[in-house]
Amino acid sequence: MPYFKTSQEWLDHSVALLEARPSQTRVTVRYSIKPVKPRKSTATTTSTTDQDTANAPDATTSTTSTPPPATAKPPRGSLVLKTYDPVGGVTLKYRTTKAAEVTRLMGAAMGRLGKAMAGVQDVVEEEMRDADAVVAEGDAGAQQQQGQGQKEGQQGQQQQQQQQQQGGGGGKKKKKGKK
Amino acid sequence: MLTLVRQTPQFFDKLGSLFNHRKGSDHGAIYLIQKRLTYDPAEQQSTTAKLFPDLAPNKPLPVLVRATNGKSKRDARAGKEKLSVVVQPHELDAFYARYADVCKAGMAALKPRDKSKKRAKAKKKKAAS
Repeated sequence: MPYFKTSQEWLDHSVALLEARPSQTRVTVRYSIKPVKPRKSTATTTSTTDQDTANAPDATTSTTSTPPPATAKPPRGSLVLKTYDPVGGVTLKYRTTKAAEVTRLMGAAMGRLGKAMAGVQDVVEEEMRDADAVVAEGDAGAQQQQGQGQKEGQQGQQQQQQQQQQGGGGGKKKKKGKK
Repeated sequence: MLTLVRQTPQFFDKLGSLFNHRKGSDHGAIYLIQKRLTYDPAEQQSTTAKLFPDLAPNKPLPVLVRATNGKSKRDARAGKEKLSVVVQPHELDAFYARYADVCKAGMAALKPRDKSKKRAKAKKKKAAS
């Protein structure tokens, strides 16, 4: 179950998976909130600063005003995007905690995946591939493989993924489809 | 509570309230799932066989979008919320634009961008001085 480092990588692989298996593949977004565990270290620092304030003059109070918000941290949210093909058993994941990414992920990325699901021809696709600086060779190969993948099913899909791995630069952890 | 929402605006209202319900609490999750809508399971085999024309389809298929709070329906106290909407291919662009807005508004617990900007500014000031 690989987590991709960039959302673009995740999106590219997800689109490839969707093209290979458009009917079964589903995309899940999990937005979860977890309370932040209070750290022991912060607790000790606050206690020491309290002692400091008791002893030290007023000047230190301005510096000690920072610990209270640290102890009363708001719950932390995280967003996990997951593409899953139940037949091949392929799972692709991406995790983020940044609010700045939400609009792009939920609008553009999910929209593109939605279009791939619907089978609507996507014009943006090639632009995005180019922007990602994927080697032209790999691109052409992937397109060939798409055709084969449709006919050959599972085998074709795995080949396609292997090619994508090679094309997009190695070093990605990737779990092959289980059967 | 189980709702099947046919109308897209209704879906967004419900999704907004689902997010709002989560805002007050310090834990929990919301799941958003999307997949191609195929009506007939028996037809699925033939569609996978016919996949090649699907790359340039003459008949685009609708997309099913579900949202749930991930609670089990077995637990009576949990209060499962589940909604879904079918998005027609021609509505996709409008849907995702609105979808992103609702998600952006709802996912309030994520790290805001402002902090990093302030930090970057502070760093710049330090570097300048």
